[in-house]
Amino acid sequence: MTMKAVDGDEMVRAEDVVKRFGHLTILNGVSFTVKRGQVVVIIGPSGSGKTTMLRCINHLEKIDGGRIYIDGELLGYRMVNGRLVEDSDAAISRVRSQIGFVFQRFNLFPHMTALENVIEAPIHVLHQSREEATERAMELLAKVGLAEKANSYPHKLSGGQQQRVAIARALAMNPKLMLFDEATSALDPELVGEVLKVMRQLAEEGMTMVVVTHEMGFARDVADHVIFMDRGIIVEEGPPEQVFEHTSNERTRAFLGMIREQ
Amino acid sequence: MSLWQIIVKFLFSTLFLQAAWRTLWISVVSQTFGVIIGLILALMRMSRFPLLSWPARFYIWLFRGSPLLVQILILYDGIPQVMPSLTKYLTVYSVALIAFSFNEGAYMAEIIRAGITSVDPGQMEAAKALGMRYPLAMRRIVLPQAARVIVPPLGNEFNNMLKTTSLASIVGLFELTYTAQVYGSQDFIIFQLLLVATVYYLLLTTLWGYVQGWIENRMDPDRSTRNELLKQKGLAERLFGFGSARVGGTLVSGR
Repeated sequence: MTMKAVDGDEMVRAEDVVKRFGHLTILNGVSFTVKRGQVVVIIGPSGSGKTTMLRCINHLEKIDGGRIYIDGELLGYRMVNGRLVEDSDAAISRVRSQIGFVFQRFNLFPHMTALENVIEAPIHVLHQSREEATERAMELLAKVGLAEKANSYPHKLSGGQQQRVAIARALAMNPKLMLFDEATSALDPELVGEVLKVMRQLAEEGMTMVVVTHEMGFARDVADHVIFMDRGIIVEEGPPEQVFEHTSNERTRAFLGMIREQ
Repeated sequence: MSLWQIIVKFLFSTLFLQAAWRTLWISVVSQTFGVIIGLILALMRMSRFPLLSWPARFYIWLFRGSPLLVQILILYDGIPQVMPSLTKYLTVYSVALIAFSFNEGAYMAEIIRAGITSVDPGQMEAAKALGMRYPLAMRRIVLPQAARVIVPPLGNEFNNMLKTTSLASIVGLFELTYTAQVYGSQDFIIFQLLLVATVYYLLLTTLWGYVQGWIENRMDPDRSTRNELLKQKGLAERLFGFGSARVGGTLVSGR
């Protein structure tokens, strides 16, 4: 993979990212890029650091080393007299408002209906009018197949429905990048399909996506680029055919073998 | 006049109606300020900046660790001795309001902190991920959910406050208790008038119990289950809280 210093096509550029929790090094020098319109899938065993990496991309986790650029801009820090200083809450929030994040456990706001969940940030962060936000929200809820559930509270929805509302909520901010953190891992098996279908549709529409998942079928079909992580480093990356069919890497093969047995 | 005649006579007297009104408004104002002080303290206490969290810890330690009666006396008798210029501001009313509000603030701080802590951290993360800043996320996402945990103990605090105001009798504020004491000892009817005061306290706390139940019911985003529970409870149970949990006792955010 070629690494140009500045590339207008790069949505995410991670350089040598290091993250520690106490004495534990979770990410040990991770570098990769995500091009505009690309779907990058990160796979790997639990504890490999893939979720942490994703959370670093919208600064839900601070990094201890390296750099992350979003759309050409340094994330979370600015240069002051040649030193890196943590950015203000306002600046970080502005970047986050352009990045959609879908959580493993949905994290819908339980005191709001599905519709209220979707219009909350457009109204209070983007300062859209209620009418404008509601109109867009209804389009998005229809898109994820939940128009008729607009006035339901989250606890009246199935896990799959909740996750689809969460995706609509993220899309309502018109993000230029969507991050999916094991979006289907908390779902009953029969509900996984409906969420993957929405994700596939987004990918087809050209959304730039970084997806952490255990769904190898999805990775194989939808990913433009697959990253295999283990113990805080990228072990192997490449197009899905290479990683899934022709890997020469021992650890990748062992991991895929374990997944297939399940 | 018989014992009962005296009780009935004073029960409907303007003297006691006024005293009850004083008890009520002092309670409402003190509780309101207590909640405001408590919210500020709770947010300070949870801050990662020691400059904010330590003063809050100190405040809570000080006001929860010393008797309210002593705090009242320090304000009314102690401060005027060392700072005579403040005496004119320290009337019975201002002393009562300051002491009750500040003291209540310390207790509310811990209740509000527990409420905020009870909200799934994922909620704050989801709000942040949508580009919401801390104050907005707190106000729109975290506090409304924390409120459902905060309101039941807040109701108990207010019930307590209605009765705690009787401590203001020590500085001669004519709330229910002091009124009963003063007029009772004048005419040797102290027993009767203390009973009258008791009836008023019970009336106020009982009415509050209803208001509290109504508020908690309103706060449930999905009221149908709550209303069914309410229907199953008899009048006596709701009034006096016999048997099972108080109306709206369990409030758990969405599954």
